[in-house]
Amino acid sequence: MREPAQLINRYRWYEIVGIYCGIAVFLTFVLAPFVEGFLVSLKPLSQLFSSPYRFIPENGSFEAYRTMWESVPGFARYIFNSFFISTIVTTVVLCMVVPAAYAFARFEFKGRGTLLAAFLAVNMFSGAVLLIPLFRLMRTLGVLNTYFAMIVPGVAFLIPSAIWLLRTYMMRIPRELDEAAYVDGASHFYTLRRVILPIAMPGITVVAITTFIGSYAQQFIFALTFNAKSEYMPLPVGLFAYFGRQEVVWNELMAASFVGIAPAMIVIFFLQRYLVSGLTAGAVKQ
Amino acid sequence: MGQLKLDKIQKFYGDFEVLKSIGLEVKNGEFVVFVGPSGCGKSTLLRMIAGLDSTSTGDILIDGVRVNDKPPVQRGIAMVFQSYALYPHMTVFENIAFPLRVERLPEETIREKVEAVAKILQLDKRLHQKPGMLSGGQRQRVAIGRAIVREPKIFLFDEPLSNLDAALRADMRIELSKLHQDLKATMIYVTHDQVEAMTMADRIVVLNAGEIAQVGAPLELYHKPQNLFVAGFIGNPKMNFMPVTCTATDEHGVTVSYAGQSVTLPVAARPDLVGQTLTLGIRPEHLSLGSGDLTVTVTPSVIERLGVNTVAYAALPSGENYCALLPGSAPVRVGAPMQTGIRATDCHLFDGKGQAFERRVDWQTLDRPAVTAA
Repeated sequence: MREPAQLINRYRWYEIVGIYCGIAVFLTFVLAPFVEGFLVSLKPLSQLFSSPYRFIPENGSFEAYRTMWESVPGFARYIFNSFFISTIVTTVVLCMVVPAAYAFARFEFKGRGTLLAAFLAVNMFSGAVLLIPLFRLMRTLGVLNTYFAMIVPGVAFLIPSAIWLLRTYMMRIPRELDEAAYVDGASHFYTLRRVILPIAMPGITVVAITTFIGSYAQQFIFALTFNAKSEYMPLPVGLFAYFGRQEVVWNELMAASFVGIAPAMIVIFFLQRYLVSGLTAGAVKQ
Repeated sequence: MGQLKLDKIQKFYGDFEVLKSIGLEVKNGEFVVFVGPSGCGKSTLLRMIAGLDSTSTGDILIDGVRVNDKPPVQRGIAMVFQSYALYPHMTVFENIAFPLRVERLPEETIREKVEAVAKILQLDKRLHQKPGMLSGGQRQRVAIGRAIVREPKIFLFDEPLSNLDAALRADMRIELSKLHQDLKATMIYVTHDQVEAMTMADRIVVLNAGEIAQVGAPLELYHKPQNLFVAGFIGNPKMNFMPVTCTATDEHGVTVSYAGQSVTLPVAARPDLVGQTLTLGIRPEHLSLGSGDLTVTVTPSVIERLGVNTVAYAALPSGENYCALLPGSAPVRVGAPMQTGIRATDCHLFDGKGQAFERRVDWQTLDRPAVTAA
């Protein structure tokens, strides 16, 4: 038996139809490319340019998922690179952002507001605008064509939004918990580790996921500019390998895209277990 | 030892003076309650003793040592927060063990101490549950457990019972009083509830607008309030105040007139009083039906019948509220005139500035039969 919805959640039939129509429109735009991409990956290359075009593949197979490894031998390495860069970026960002967000959420210090505003301002420049200066900087430092060149700018551009996100979460943790720990003799770092971190876990998970995804997405532009070595190429750049001189191997490209996203999907799947809400239940009487 | 001395404590928020030169001494083992209306500075004062807020000027001494610049744990205090402030992700055991883990005590000692505390607070069966699964009273006990496990010199309580329902509050009040007797530790307790203050305190500190209005034993405050604020704040329903004019003073007391009647109140007189307007205070529970040394006739507008008492609310011709607390089911009705009698010995008298004339009664003998019988 389904429980009857609360009064505030009750809708008329036409309202429900309207809601679902709205959802359908946007979902189509989001999901259709994925569906089409997946279907393309199942088709033999010859069928892709058939006319009239058919969405449903005839005698479709997963052949492309096998041949993709052969036509671009370094592909596994690209996946690893992407994963590696994103993992390092996420780890570094978390290590820096957690104490920073705690400080911004709890302590009054000079320049706090200015700093937070500055973070927002930095976020308004996309990395692309700063590519040339960054490139010169990297060249001066002699770190072009290294993992370092892709990781450091990635970290730098992801920290501001991560701080904002986590600070907001931490401000919702009752201040009495800090005070109680302080009265009991705990230092700020002890409080952060034993009290704040476990309670902020859902918030930290959100930050970890957005950072990971953000790093995955922004690799392309940094890798393209700061790295010319094919063994350090991350996935988005690696996919270019399927763009041949003569033709684009579309089915393998699509198959490779799906395979390439898989590790990230798995990571996010594991992280979302920590997205439990209501963890502060019983902490303080509101 | 847990002896506390506050020496000329002041606190400013910007230009606003929250606390005005507070001086107070608390003896070892004493249960002192800070009471006052919201915003009187009582919580700020407690937080300053705890070390959570700093003083603007003045010294805090614990056992003769100035502790202004010491962190809470070095002051030897423990605090119980109004909102409990339990760590939601830890079990009851870990919550109570937290201060000991900070001290890095060996596991064995921690286990022993926590279990001993849990026994006192009847939490032994709850040790492996998380705070979210406990009731309000149990959560409060965990918070108290976290305070006592460290064996501090001074306990600070910041309105610890205000989040509990009335029945539970009464139970916890008794438990806290017992705890105080068992631990014999100094306790400082902040509340806005005068019942908590009256029932638990050895001494009550009444705060008003950042100043100490009066310090004294509960019954002393009840019988000999030093000013209008304390008179009105202690006691429920509130003391009745009526404007009177002084007509004469002598060694027996001050003679005042009210609505054509004259009565001599046994209070210590001061010179140059004749002709001045004073305030006569009389507690609702000291009124009786019929005539007295002073007789006031009013018409009740609301009557509350509580079974054990009847409370009649009326207004004096001058506009002041006038309330009578009569025993049992008293024969009074809404809209029907009610004659109340006042005994001169029950009266309080205040001057134009709200300061009391000292009553010529010994409050300790007033309740002697009742107190010694108990």
